[in-house]
Amino acid sequence: MEYGTIERELYIDATPEIVFDVVSSPEHVKQWWPDDAHYEPVAGSTGTIRFGDPENGGGIETFTVVDARPPRTFSFRWTHPAGEVAAPGNSLLVTFELTASGAGTTLRMTETGFREMGWEAAVLEHQYQDHVSGWDYFLPRLVPYVATLSVPS
Amino acid sequence: MSTALGEQVDDDLWSAIGDPTRRRLLDLLLIDGHGTATTLGQQLPVTRQAVAKHLGVLDRVGLVWSTPAGREKRYQVDDAQLARAASQLAAVGSAWDARLDRIKRIAETIQRTHRDTKQT
Repeated sequence: MEYGTIERELYIDATPEIVFDVVSSPEHVKQWWPDDAHYEPVAGSTGTIRFGDPENGGGIETFTVVDARPPRTFSFRWTHPAGEVAAPGNSLLVTFELTASGAGTTLRMTETGFREMGWEAAVLEHQYQDHVSGWDYFLPRLVPYVATLSVPS
Repeated sequence: MSTALGEQVDDDLWSAIGDPTRRRLLDLLLIDGHGTATTLGQQLPVTRQAVAKHLGVLDRVGLVWSTPAGREKRYQVDDAQLARAASQLAAVGSAWDARLDRIKRIAETIQRTHRDTKQT
């Protein structure tokens, strides 16, 4: 079982076919996320994505395509240890779901699997954004801290 | 900085803050300014021993710090570490917001190019 999800949904004024290509093909993916991407956009394909210069503070992450059904669904796992098969518990699962909407596309993105990687961050962030109750005392105090304190990263 | 999630999230910090009892303890400490295992335990449906254990976890990741108060320790929230936690949680979401923004821009640019090509 996997816990913790980031969810986003947005409208894009382009057909599902085009949006699918942008979220799935390595040539496009490296325009919106890593600096380089090597994999085939078909289910089961394994590869890597590279951030910056690995010799100089950057990194290479594993990347495994879970599902690719144009123009509806594209999902992949990433961050599993090199040499391990991507599975729940060792990686994050990103899913893009596309729905035709008028002349464009509604794109829904979820990222799950934060249990091993601070999944609470995702839950907290969600509540933080939506002003959901439960953090009645804690959250109002976080906001000014974020705004005013300079934070060492 | 790169957008790899693993680099943005401090696992120990987040597993400390992920427990509901520990979040409640942080809430209470923020409201009252400070507290001991005894005073905090009176406000929660858990034993003083359990509270002391949770405070220890929060202490180890730097979210609270203590000063001696008689036979007990008086705890308060560490503002800087709390701010660091808050900025990490914001970073995870905003990283995806930025990526999705770029996806939208790229797709819409391609779509416009297609439409223009059809019109000419």
